[in-house]
Amino acid sequence: MTIAFAKLSRTICGAVLAAGIGVLATAPAHADEDLWPLLREQAFGDRPISEESGFVVLETPQKVEDAAIVPITVRIPPHVRDQLKSLSIFIDKNPDPKVATLNFGPAAGAGGERSFSTRVRVDNFSHARAVLELEDGSLHMATKFLSAAGGCAAMQAKDPDADMTGLGKTVVRTFSPALSSNPIWSGQVMIKHPNHNGMQLDINTAKFIPARYVKEVKVERDGELVFTLDSTFSISTNPNFRFTFGKGDNNELDVSVVDTDGVAFEGMSKRPSGS
Amino acid sequence: MTNDPRKTPVGPTTPSGCGYGVHGLSRRNVLLASLAIASVPLLRYAPAHAAINDVMEVAPGIFVHQGRYEVQSPANGGDIANASFVVGSEGVAVIDTSGSARLGAQLRDAIRAVTDKPIKYVINTHMHPDHVFGNAAFKQDNPEFVGHYKLARALGTRKDGYLAANEQMIGSEAFAGSEIILPTLSIKEPTKLDLGDRELLLEPQPTAHTDNDLIVTDLKTNTLFLGDLLFSVHVPTIDGSIKGWIDVLDEIGQRKAARVVPGHGPRTMELPEALVPEQRYLSAIADDVRKQIAEGKTLEQATKTAGFSEKDAWKLFDQYHVRNVTAAFAELEWE
Ligand SMILES: [Zn+2]
Repeated sequence: MTIAFAKLSRTICGAVLAAGIGVLATAPAHADEDLWPLLREQAFGDRPISEESGFVVLETPQKVEDAAIVPITVRIPPHVRDQLKSLSIFIDKNPDPKVATLNFGPAAGAGGERSFSTRVRVDNFSHARAVLELEDGSLHMATKFLSAAGGCAAMQAKDPDADMTGLGKTVVRTFSPALSSNPIWSGQVMIKHPNHNGMQLDINTAKFIPARYVKEVKVERDGELVFTLDSTFSISTNPNFRFTFGKGDNNELDVSVVDTDGVAFEGMSKRPSGS
Repeated sequence: MTNDPRKTPVGPTTPSGCGYGVHGLSRRNVLLASLAIASVPLLRYAPAHAAINDVMEVAPGIFVHQGRYEVQSPANGGDIANASFVVGSEGVAVIDTSGSARLGAQLRDAIRAVTDKPIKYVINTHMHPDHVFGNAAFKQDNPEFVGHYKLARALGTRKDGYLAANEQMIGSEAFAGSEIILPTLSIKEPTKLDLGDRELLLEPQPTAHTDNDLIVTDLKTNTLFLGDLLFSVHVPTIDGSIKGWIDVLDEIGQRKAARVVPGHGPRTMELPEALVPEQRYLSAIADDVRKQIAEGKTLEQATKTAGFSEKDAWKLFDQYHVRNVTAAFAELEWE
């Protein structure tokens, strides 16, 4: 990255960290710095973005309890009938502010409420943003402020030995809607992966544990693309995604995952038949 | 607690309800208290009740200080966990050193008021700051610093975070001199330490409250120091594995002991009753979270309801409970 990254890197885990089990934050050194204009220009150039226009809603916890695992949800209310093109999530002051970008395919669905949820690390007091791109190319943004900090470097694995066992295990689930007439189903992908961000110290080697995190997730329903997801280390350990997709014939999901080491993992919702 | 410093209570609160002197009614304890105060000139800069001078002898040669049921603050100086020492004929072992170098120094003064025998071992039951930051006060004694074999890694990776956060919570003056001291003796197998006419048994535990919990038993009096494997009154905090913790408690429940010393709670308790509230709390969370996972509920949904039947049973529930549910959910969803 360019100038934005240089600026951002100054805030890397600068202030605040875990006090015992509790997390308590000092005031960030650059709390007043507005990084969004730079981020926005990088991501969207000079395209107009409508804010809080009702096309997209971002939900974050009122009180963040654990900066290493902050649940966030993006909702696209049912009155939005357009096909979706992309969704980008930012946390301005994280070391890599781009949390995730989803590019939607034909199986993303329409005709009901659509949503995407995951769990993120929050390194510093920061704005979180969801920018939705509709089929017509229009951009819509929702913003929330996160009062949490220390998620990137400070919050260490509770049990580093347990974290590495079963790496790559990918669990996929589907949930049918309460009303069978609803054309929107939901799914879940859980990936067992430490998502090392390169900022955690290994005491045995006195070196930072090399970054290794889930980079790309592709979800297909009955062979049609729901979305591809470009992910960063702002996603918490054991990446967890909840999302909606359009109802199909079998509603079986196939998921392929690639991490930054180039290792690929796969999962599917269909239970293998037989025993 | 909130993460927003604008909402964090700062500055000394009124020093009421601190228990200062309340427990120290015996002549010996009054003496210890006055000695501790006299020998710590810095104390006058601290709020009067942020002091470890109420150590009480709970069994022959075993002394325990009780921490407050609070989150670290300038008013309590980090005095929120129990800290103990055991005196043998040839030396002394300290078991947890409280939350700052200053509190560690007060604990050391309390030891010196009882005995001039060398302080041979400083044992940390686990990594948490309220149990380890007093270690610095014992460097002058050149003891073995003793901990679970995973303690060094745990402290090493958290060092900067623990220092920054605790200095901020307690205040730089009261926190001055505090440092992370890594163990010089790591315990991987059950190990005995000899204090002269009394032995301590050290048993490393699988991941439970943290991944580096150590149980210390004074074999002479059959007193178990459980560290934060046992919370009483103060809500338990999960920083390891809820499943592992429940299992470890089952095992401890099979034991016979004259008394146990919790990491947070009264100075002594008895088995197996001491474990019951904590077992009930952890089971309530595990049961509720498992049910919600099975129903396809999300983490956010679980944090609003799971384990709330326990709300009135604990102090500091609002500060730690949602965090506990979050940790439990992230663990149990992989079952
Ligand atoms: Zn603890």
